[in-house]
Formats: sequence, structure tokens, C-alpha cells
Amino acid sequence: MTKRPRFGLYALVILSVVISFLPIIWLVLTSLKTTEGIYAWPPQYLPDPFTLKNYINIFTNSPELLLYVLNSFIVALGCTVVALSFGGMAGYALSRLGMRRAGVLMVFILAVSMFPPVSLLPSLFQTFLNLGLLNTYTGLIIAHTGLFLPFTVWMLASYFATLPPEIEEAARMDGMGFFRIFWSIVIPLSWPGFVATGLIVFIFSWNEFPLALVLMTQNAMRTAPVGISLYPGEYAFPWETISTATVIAIVPILIITAIFQKQIVGGLTAGAGK
Amino acid sequence: MTNMTSPLDRRRHLTGMAFITPTMAVIIAILVYPILQSIVLSFGQSSIDGSEPYSFVGLKHYATLAGNERFWNSLWVTLVFTGLSIPLELAMGIGLAVLLNEHFRFKGIARLAVLFPWALPTALNTLMWRWMYNTDYGLFNAAALQSGIVDRPINWLGDETLAMGSMVVVAVWKTSSFMALIILAGLQSIPRELYEAGRMDGMTRWQEFREITLPLLKGPILVALIVRSMDALRTFELPFNLTDGGPVTATESLSLYAYKVIFDFIEFNYGAAIVVVQFLVIFAMSLLYILTLRNKD
Repeated sequence: MTKRPRFGLYALVILSVVISFLPIIWLVLTSLKTTEGIYAWPPQYLPDPFTLKNYINIFTNSPELLLYVLNSFIVALGCTVVALSFGGMAGYALSRLGMRRAGVLMVFILAVSMFPPVSLLPSLFQTFLNLGLLNTYTGLIIAHTGLFLPFTVWMLASYFATLPPEIEEAARMDGMGFFRIFWSIVIPLSWPGFVATGLIVFIFSWNEFPLALVLMTQNAMRTAPVGISLYPGEYAFPWETISTATVIAIVPILIITAIFQKQIVGGLTAGAGK
Repeated sequence: MTNMTSPLDRRRHLTGMAFITPTMAVIIAILVYPILQSIVLSFGQSSIDGSEPYSFVGLKHYATLAGNERFWNSLWVTLVFTGLSIPLELAMGIGLAVLLNEHFRFKGIARLAVLFPWALPTALNTLMWRWMYNTDYGLFNAAALQSGIVDRPINWLGDETLAMGSMVVVAVWKTSSFMALIILAGLQSIPRELYEAGRMDGMTRWQEFREITLPLLKGPILVALIVRSMDALRTFELPFNLTDGGPVTATESLSLYAYKVIFDFIEFNYGAAIVVVQFLVIFAMSLLYILTLRNKD
């Protein structure tokens, strides 16, 4: 077998990595510059002088930007917990309890997951207004759960389908009820599926924009992507603050993605292949 | 499971119903009911807070829509954006997938780098790009001016044609990774022996790719294409944060136009008509998707 040239390969890999990281690197560099450095000519590629002033300023002068991150955490975590609980039960029912028309229901769930979020807005806004759910964590958690439940159900149903049925049959011989089998046998056996699904749902909810924009109208309740996007106001765009806030808002996602890369990629490709 | 007794079947059935009820309740409340209500709203006149009672006006809003240039523009913008970004994403995605399927050192880091653009919020990705595109202080103009490629700053987001191109670049940057991951999973399922056989026959690298790899990737590529097309057809925060649909309406997508009609112009029912049309376009796509998957099985 002939050895193929490696140089071109490495050049392409490095190019792809640089392009992928470029906006993030430029953002981080911007956040470490002084205001003069950001608007200087000739342009500063590296911060000179290097400063953490923007980060300190956010903590002292613009705590609302941290509040956005906290809101995102609460909503994404709430959505993940609810989606995994409901979706786990539904996925189990659809894949293991021999439900009639399970296939039709799965296709129905897949079809509704493709609704464009903006087409839900007029009605959801009105309903949430009438029910007093605008500007509440509960409201946005329910909305996000609805948006991402179809994905959760599909992922978990296909995970449960890989478990050997003998274990459940044996448990039933021992007189266990379906609920106890699900709770004390199926869930402990399926935690890798729950982890992969939960991570992706968390990321989806953290990143979701249209519903978070419309259902959280008060500044203090906004999630990070929406709050930072609307932060600038009407006239000037304070890039030193925006870049710093964006770095803070994406760090949690970067860490999660880095640690759980395998699970996320596995889940994504399995989800799309179904 | 032949020795099943009837009471057990009934218990199983009841458990199934109990297990699926919470999910169906949320899906109906958040996805199904709002679509149906949007349809009802689009045929009537009412107000968001309910102060004006609903009155039926028939196809009035759809007639307005059919004669509205801005609506047709947003539909056109959405289709152009989809038509430009999807083929580029596909080409980049296949390239990246083939690259990441090779064996080299630090492969984990390379994969992670490719995954980041997908994992970050589109809204914030878009802000990062808007900052790089910035006419006066952005990275691109700084580099272009300093290196002498241009002698005047380029108005990346202020020129009608360039703005669409700039928006497509952001979309391609963000989602090529998603394409790449799906295609990569397909690549890894191709048996090595096929390539060894190809090499025995003296195939070149390009022939291998054309005659072995591509035909076997048809399934995953189709899935990735349809998923991404539906995403592109509903693109919202990308134009919202990059250009706000401008200059004028050169990058105003259907979703962005609908949002502005409902929440900026407060034309609730006309907005509902727009989202119903958008829903129909995407629903047609999703039917295509489901039919494709059915045929695959």
C-alpha cells in the first residue's frame, strides 16, 4: 500500500480548525482589549494593553448580563429535566409497551417537530398573555419542552429499543409492575441515552431564540442569547461589553461540548439517521 | 410473548396510555393547538389582548398578502438564502467529513473545533460575525485594508448583494459541521474492504470517492439536506441579528417579516396569515422528509 502525502491533509485540517475558531478567537481577543484598543487604527490584532477591565465591568456595572446567563441556566435545566421525564415515559410506552399504532404516533411526533417556531408565536403569545405565563420561567420551560420533546421521545425510544427484552420479562416474572420496571430497571440501564439526549436538549434550549424573545418581554427575564442581542439599545453598539458578555454566555456551552463531545456527536448522528 | 394473560395486557395498555399522556398534552398545547389557532386567526380580525372580539373576515388577509410586495420579497429572500447556503453547506460538509475520516494526530481537537460552531447559539454566532464584518472596526476590513487588497472599507452588510452573501457565509460556517457529522457517521459505516477491492483494481482516490463513497452516502446526505433545508426556510435570528433584514429588505426572511408584522406593526391577523403560508411551505418539505425516510426502510 502506498503512503499518501500527509502535508496537504494537515494543512486542510489546520485551515478548518482555524476557520471554525476564528470568530470565537476574535471575540475573546476583543473582550481583552481596552475600548481604545478596539477602535484603534491601525487595528490591534492582539490586545495591547491586555486588560480584564471588561470582565470586571460586567460584574460591577452590568449585572443584568449575568442575570441573562442565570435565566438561561434555569430555563435550559428545567426544560431538560421535564423533557427527559416526559419523553422517557413516552419513549418507553412507544417502544416497549406494545402500544397500538405506536408507529403512527412516532411519525405524528416527528411531523409536529418540524413546525416553524415563528408560526407558533401569534397564538402562544396570546395564550401565555391570558394565562399570565409571559415572563415566567414556567412558561418558557413549558414552551421549550414542547419544542424539544419530539426529539427527546425519538432519541429515547430508539435507545430503549436496544435493551434486551429478557431483563424486563424476568422482572415481570418476579411480579414487578410496569412502572417499577421502568423506574428501577430501564432507567438505570439507559443512562447513557439519557445523558446524550439531555445534553443536546440543554444546548437546544440554551440556544433557542424566537420563543425566548417573544415570551420573555421583561429585560430581567431574558435569556442570554436574547438579552445580549437586544442589549445595545437604539444607537451605539458597545462592542467591549457585548463581546465580553458573549464570551461569558458561550463558555458553559463550550465546556459542555468539549467534555461530552462523544455523547453529543453520537446522539446527533443517531437522531438524524432515524 | 405468547403466554400473555388478558389482565396483564390491559395493565400494559393502561401504563402505556399513562406514560404517553404528559408528552401528548405538552405537544398538543405547544405545537398543535397554536398552529390551529394561527389558522383561525388568519381568517379573522381580533386583537392580541382580546379587547377586540374575533370577527370572521374570510380570505381578506390572504388577499392582502398576495398583493404585498414585501411578502413576496421575504419569500424570495428565504428561497435564495436556502438555495445558496444548502449546496455550499453540503460541499463543505462532505469535504470536512472526508477529512475527519482520515487518520491523523489531534483528531479529537479537530472534531471538537468543527462541532463548536454548531453547538453555540446562532444569535451569538451572528453577533460575532457582525463584529468581524463591521465596516470601520471589523477584522475583515482591517486585514483587507492593511494588506492593500482594497483601498476603501467594504460595506459587508450594507450592500444588498454583499449582505446576502455575508449572511450565507455565516450559515455555511455554522452548519457545515452538522452536515459533516451526519455524513461522517455514514462514512464510518462503509466497509473497509470495498476500498481495498477498489485499490486492487487500481482506482485513483477520486474514482474511489466517486464510485464507492458517494453512492453509499446517498441516504445520510438526503437526510442532512432535508433537515437543513427546513432549518434554512425558517431562519430567523441570523438576519435578525446580522442585518435586521436590511439593507432595506434585502435579507428579510419570511420568519423575520412575520415577526415584524406581528410584534412591530401589531398586525396580528395578517401576521398569522404569513405564518400559515410559511407553515405550509415547511410542512410540504417535512412530508417529503417523512416519505423519504419511509422509502429508506
